[in-house]
Amino acid sequence: MKLIIGEGSCGLAAGAGAVHAKLEELLAQDNPTAVELGITGCIGMCFLEPIVDVYDDEGELHRLVRVQEKDCKTIYEAATTGNLSLLDKLLITPEDAEFLSKQTRIALRDCGIIDPESIDDYIAHGGYQAITKILTTGMTPDDVIAEIDVSGLAGRGGAGFSTAFKWRAAKNADAGEDGRKFLICNADEGDPGAFMDRAVIEGDPHALIEGMLVGAYSIGASEAIVYVRAEYPLAIVRLKKAIVDATERGYLGNNICGSDFSCTLRIKAGAGAFVCGEETALIESLEGKRGMPRLKPPFPAQAGYWHQPSNINNVETYANVAWIINNGGKAFAAMGTENSKGTKVFALSGKIARGGLVEIPMGTTLREVIFGIGGGIRGGKEFKAVQLGGPSGGCLPASKLDTVIDYRELSATGAIMGSGGMVVMDESTCMVGMARFFLDFTAKESCGKCVHCRIGTKRMLEILDRIVAGKGEEGDIEKLEDLCYAIKDGALCGLGQTAPNPVLTTIRYFRNELEAHIAEKRCPAGECRELISYSIDQDVCVGCTACARQCPVQAITGERKSPHKIDQTLCIKCGNCKTACRFGAVVVA
Amino acid sequence: MTDCQKYVNEIKEGRYKDAVSTIYDAFPLPASIGRVCPHPCEDACRRQMVEEPISIAFLKAFAADKIEADGDPYVIQCEPDTGKHVAIVGGGPAGLTAAYFLRRYGHQVTIYDMMPKMGGMLRYGIPEYRLPKAVLDREIHIIADSGVKMVNDVRLGKEITLDGLRDQHDAVLLAIGAWTSMSMRVPGEDLEGVYGGIDFLERLGLGEKPVLGERVAVCGGGNTAMDCCRTAVRLGAKEVYVIYRRTRNEMPAADIEIEEAEEEGVTFKFLTNPIEFYGENGKLTGVKLQIMELGEPDASGRRRPVPVEGATEDIALDNVLMAIGQTANCDGVDASLLTPRGTIACDELTFRTAFDDVFAAGDVTNRGAGIAIQAIGEAQKAALCINNYLEGDEVRGHIPYFVEREVTPEEFEDRPKQNREKMPGLTPEQRRDNFEPIYFGFTEEQALREASRCLECGCHDYYDCRLIRFAHAFDVNPSKYAGETPNRENVPVVTEMIVHDPNKCVLCGLCYRTCEQVAGKTFLGLYNRGFSTVVNPMVPEEARTFCATCLKCVEVCPTGAMRSYPAVERKVALS
Repeated sequence: MKLIIGEGSCGLAAGAGAVHAKLEELLAQDNPTAVELGITGCIGMCFLEPIVDVYDDEGELHRLVRVQEKDCKTIYEAATTGNLSLLDKLLITPEDAEFLSKQTRIALRDCGIIDPESIDDYIAHGGYQAITKILTTGMTPDDVIAEIDVSGLAGRGGAGFSTAFKWRAAKNADAGEDGRKFLICNADEGDPGAFMDRAVIEGDPHALIEGMLVGAYSIGASEAIVYVRAEYPLAIVRLKKAIVDATERGYLGNNICGSDFSCTLRIKAGAGAFVCGEETALIESLEGKRGMPRLKPPFPAQAGYWHQPSNINNVETYANVAWIINNGGKAFAAMGTENSKGTKVFALSGKIARGGLVEIPMGTTLREVIFGIGGGIRGGKEFKAVQLGGPSGGCLPASKLDTVIDYRELSATGAIMGSGGMVVMDESTCMVGMARFFLDFTAKESCGKCVHCRIGTKRMLEILDRIVAGKGEEGDIEKLEDLCYAIKDGALCGLGQTAPNPVLTTIRYFRNELEAHIAEKRCPAGECRELISYSIDQDVCVGCTACARQCPVQAITGERKSPHKIDQTLCIKCGNCKTACRFGAVVVA
Repeated sequence: MTDCQKYVNEIKEGRYKDAVSTIYDAFPLPASIGRVCPHPCEDACRRQMVEEPISIAFLKAFAADKIEADGDPYVIQCEPDTGKHVAIVGGGPAGLTAAYFLRRYGHQVTIYDMMPKMGGMLRYGIPEYRLPKAVLDREIHIIADSGVKMVNDVRLGKEITLDGLRDQHDAVLLAIGAWTSMSMRVPGEDLEGVYGGIDFLERLGLGEKPVLGERVAVCGGGNTAMDCCRTAVRLGAKEVYVIYRRTRNEMPAADIEIEEAEEEGVTFKFLTNPIEFYGENGKLTGVKLQIMELGEPDASGRRRPVPVEGATEDIALDNVLMAIGQTANCDGVDASLLTPRGTIACDELTFRTAFDDVFAAGDVTNRGAGIAIQAIGEAQKAALCINNYLEGDEVRGHIPYFVEREVTPEEFEDRPKQNREKMPGLTPEQRRDNFEPIYFGFTEEQALREASRCLECGCHDYYDCRLIRFAHAFDVNPSKYAGETPNRENVPVVTEMIVHDPNKCVLCGLCYRTCEQVAGKTFLGLYNRGFSTVVNPMVPEEARTFCATCLKCVEVCPTGAMRSYPAVERKVALS
């Protein structure tokens, strides 16, 4: 009997640490049947965390979900006695199980299954076969790149540029007198609502290392660097251990697998700037400078880190590589659409019933992801929009739900594939407020180098601030559009060039909401504080006092069992009363 | 507009030729204008927050006189000939200025003037004691030497016609001035002994010596009135009055002119207005004055004089000089080019009339008569537009965009007080019976002292600033996307020698990149993100200790945000 606890950051946040400690304590006291306790990374079902996988003696999996410390005793009893029927209450429901069964997992193939801190576990699941195959069967770098080319793998960081093309460019680039080439992994995952790279590093760090080794071999790099954001401490810890283990086993260092190929790998923790996810800014940051983009060309493949040829891909891209080498490029290319091959991981969040990581083949529709896998909107509300691509992407309305996941198809809608953030919104989300939120993010994260981004985003933000505060003016939409196109054309790097996307898609798909804010000073979603007021329906209120007790400013008064009232001069529009009322008596106007 | 901060600084450094050259970039005639200008520029001078403004005008005259006295006069450099020919009607300050610029642009220029000599109102409106005509002649020669042709004694509508000029030239500038004294519409104006002020001065300029009686009154409160009354004193009048319907505070004349007139014995009759000139046998004997008081402010912001019912005063007089204003005489100009007031209608920015090839500038335009430097300013802009027209470019005047900063006296509290230099000159007794120049001009020591008073409060790189140049070239409109301006705390000191004004900084990054890539150091860098980004020393102690003050960051700064301190010689920005 084995108990495997999901200990990704999400699991730990939900309380997996306490569950682990409790089970460990119980097992330490008495463990008659030698129950094993292990850990794994994130399986992707964040909405069910903490998850404990129970493997019985036949090796069959019983997945327990939303496990709390108080359940540990039961689990302990079931494990030690073998009476698994005790766990029925905790078992995952068949509907929730569909979340996984509907997916196709390549990048996330081992996440939530293997122990991320054990290289043996990785090897047991077929790990390091790809690099061994390459180095021992005499595959040349060109052969490897050709295989990647066949797979059609494209950069999963957002832009979707052909991986094989980049590798070939870096391989063919002249490294000059210095002679060095570098392979870099961009793990500076900064989009709000995106966390798939973290899951890969926390759940399957060796898959990243193996992918990077294949890449380094292909371009002729002997030094590889992972640029991880410092906000991912657990990822850094696990990756560090993985590097030590891999070096010990001869997968990193000199003469890997007995070949001539040598490669070291090190970690550089990011400095907390979103723009460092832009490849040239990342290189500047790696060199110890302020993270600010460089002009392209020269591209990193020509002059990157220390002005030597460098290749940069993101975590998810590298995580696919070993699978492609093992299974062949054709198998990968068999999935997906004409333009976009393979699978893509999305981080589903927001007002979705089942939030988490979803890996699906390209060509799946947004509807299938959101309603099929994600289970639709939480709490039975109406779907309103889905935000793709974070601050660089856009919001798509229900009418675009049948768009298939494909780099070109998504770009045509005004959103982008992005790194895979998928934030779902329901009717209670104000789209103007949403656009403002993302713009606020990019304005704050602008590095300040180019005028369009530094001042343009600020001006747009000021206009949106005005609009959500009910001070919008006629012509503001046109002004926003003007600024959007000027910034798209004028900004130096991807951050600025894509920063207007959330606003542009809002104008394109939710213009009526913008107009309601400007012309009628009304927020249709009832979210913009300056534009709404809360009141209590005197016919519905039963005088339960629940709202009054929740009001942080004592704006609600009334006798018990008689209707209450809100003093508008005191009300700060926090919405607590509406949440507290069980009778629907609090209305927003 | 002249870069007064620049030439005052050049004078301070003894580089007089450079100073004159700086002035000539904005207009010719510095020695003349420096003597006669009521210098509105000095009203704007911030030195008055310490004690008194810089004597900008006198310094200008000093520099021009000095290089002349040193035998090294200014020579105008012209572009190669363009083959275009411009006719200018009127050889006054506007005509001469336009001729000078158009010649510099490489065009052929001919000035036609109705008077026997060039100079216009500078010659025929300003008395010798204020502007010695030898000085004016000298400066007109400098312009003539550049190849400007000057034709005198021709009058528009008589010897020459506008049509004729248009036929023979590629463009015409009308700068014929305002030479007609305005009537006061008071009974008795036609009496013998009543003259137009400007006509009186003109006769003097022509070399006549008009005979005046013992008691002379001048009507008006402007600079022409002052010229008239002081000339009357010099011509021997015993009692000279200035009749002005408001008070001294409202007088448009320069303060110093009023003071000096008082010193010379002129009596000011404030708050009086002539209601009748009377005489015997057609000859003036006196004036009846209505006593006035000040009422509510009028459109000009000055308090309107209103009659005090029944209060009058009589003064016995031999002569009256009416100096209440001048108007243009546009005989010979097509009626279609005129305003209802009889001046020439032209665009306020391009100075173009209804005819594409005809421009107008100076007192004759819709704005009406003003001081010489206004006419010069218009001529300079008109010349640029004429040049655009001749080159086939878009004729487009524009209102230049400036950034202004509030400056408070507190900022200059630490400056030691040093009053402006006193212009040496004749005493009232020495000057009242002759037309000798009343000022001697600054000595070199005085000029150096005066120039050193400059606070250098203006942007040091205004004339090198590429940002303002682009802003002008592309008609910047800062209000289009107006919003919050960056709240950049002043972090003035980079090192002992380098000061950075973050409010001028456009974050182009040249300074820190130059520091890193050219000087091989990393003393400068960017701080904060997005809208709050600023250039700062990376490690202030390090910069202060190790910066070798190569000043490369100062040289490359396109906006003057980075500058050396104390201000050493101005560096020209690398392009």
